[in-house]
Amino acid sequence: MDNSTQESHLRSENFFTHDSPYPIYAMAFSSSSDRIHRIAVGSFLEEYNNKVDIISFDEETLTFKTDPNLSFDHPYPPTKLMFHPNGAKSLRKSSNLLASSGDYLRLWEVRENSIEPRALLNNSKTSEFCAPLTSFDWNDAEPRRIGTSSIDTTCTIWDVERGVVDTQLIAHDKEVYDIAWGEVGVFASVSADGSVRIFDLRDKEHSTIVYESPQPDTPLLRLSWNKQDLRYMATILMDSNKVVILDIRSPGLPVAELERHRACINAIAWAPQSCRHICSAGDDAQALIWELPTVAGPNGIDPILAYTAGSEINQLQWSALQPDWIAIAFANKMQLLKV
Amino acid sequence: MLSNPGLRKGSWTEEEDILLRECIEKYGEGKWHRVPVRAGLKRCRKSCRLRWLNYLKPDIKRGQFTADEVDLITRLHKLLGNRWSLIAGRLPGRTANDIKNYCNTRMRKNKVSPRKEKETTDDKIVTQKTKVFRPRPLNFCKNSPCFLRRMADSTSVGAVSHPQTGEEMPSNNNNNNNNEVFLSLDLPPPTDEALPWWKSILAGCENEIVGDNGISCSISGGSSEQDVELLLKSLWAEEWTQKCWS
Repeated sequence: MDNSTQESHLRSENFFTHDSPYPIYAMAFSSSSDRIHRIAVGSFLEEYNNKVDIISFDEETLTFKTDPNLSFDHPYPPTKLMFHPNGAKSLRKSSNLLASSGDYLRLWEVRENSIEPRALLNNSKTSEFCAPLTSFDWNDAEPRRIGTSSIDTTCTIWDVERGVVDTQLIAHDKEVYDIAWGEVGVFASVSADGSVRIFDLRDKEHSTIVYESPQPDTPLLRLSWNKQDLRYMATILMDSNKVVILDIRSPGLPVAELERHRACINAIAWAPQSCRHICSAGDDAQALIWELPTVAGPNGIDPILAYTAGSEINQLQWSALQPDWIAIAFANKMQLLKV
Repeated sequence: MLSNPGLRKGSWTEEEDILLRECIEKYGEGKWHRVPVRAGLKRCRKSCRLRWLNYLKPDIKRGQFTADEVDLITRLHKLLGNRWSLIAGRLPGRTANDIKNYCNTRMRKNKVSPRKEKETTDDKIVTQKTKVFRPRPLNFCKNSPCFLRRMADSTSVGAVSHPQTGEEMPSNNNNNNNNEVFLSLDLPPPTDEALPWWKSILAGCENEIVGDNGISCSISGGSSEQDVELLLKSLWAEEWTQKCWS
């Protein structure tokens, strides 16, 4: 990976575009090693009928292939898509599971030539109203667990194999916007009330506020926990061009604020293989990769790599299996960038 | 129970309401412990406050709930459950108390009649009652010396004096023992084990990363107490990040 300290732009043979008939938002890289270049892409149409497509990228011909059999309808736009973390490592049949969140948490079984709905996880006792899910996270260490965050201020932990709720916590005072697992029983969430809170399933009576937005009640939109180094988390405030890096050892004070975007940031992702690199993308159509130093210069930290897309970038995913690929979504296009 | 024979309990009379209203108009809200005395009421201070907030406050909407409000209440109640203050947050002019009373009386009325039909269908649907927890958030107190000490420790400071004793602390103090000590000192009540995940995450990290302080600010400088004072003061300045990284 390039480590030049100046901003460098990616060359034209390093990005590949997939055009979609509709605007897209949610994306997920497949985690199974025999299907490395499979990406699930979810549409973002403001209506009931939405679709999720599974596309494959052929490295030899450098083109995308869509298979109409590997597409399915999804009610309401999926707010997040994620493949089962173990992929082909697990011997069980459940290796190619795809989860999606929207009005409910749904599981889909991705087979060679078809996709079958596997489960719909519904917690409400009366089936009339359900609280839409803003995000979810699949626990890498314990793949039976999925944590979901919802606008009804709660986070629900599901046992996916049994299809039942493990725990439900009233996590925040306002809508919860994102959730991320740290350890087997520890997760963090961010909310419209402006706080990052860490929860431990062994002690459900307490949570810890690790950061609160400086202007009270500025919502925090996204959270990303560095899987390589659990001390660090990154979050973004609503309508802000800064990425806030937090160290859980020093709650309340951000370790760094990366401020080089020219418009508000929409997505962040830590590098899957390095504990110091993070990527962010936003409404200025830029995707920036940052390297967090031990000691920063007086003017703040500069990104090491930059990429300018055609329009505002809404979503960003960094492939865990192939760390030199990053996917971004803007307008109707999905681009794969090679770092 | 005659704990205080002079205290009035039960319904508020018109005269009491007038006295309370005049008192609040004169002295404002707050300092409720003085209100009964100032108003000349034989009521408990808690009772005065509740009466004001739930009934006498001028911006409370009187009258029945409109159809819109009823619709909102039903939906919010299905979404949020019995968290009345959250529901009241979305209904301006209505108190949480009013909403709670409305729900418990009206909803019950609706349930009683169609209940017989519902019971047969409900048996088939297995409703799992999951207990919903509400974790209480712990906020680290910014001004505790323990917090400042941990701040100093986690950054690779040359030498920092303890704010109270003035003794110098060794730098790069990242061993587990110190962290354990901090954890037990830092935590607010109730227990020391309130954050077991700290120990596991930090222990894991300390073992992996030896001698690497991660992302930190290194302050090269003297160890004089004046410097330390400046450091501690500047910690809470907004330009802290820039000052450290120079």
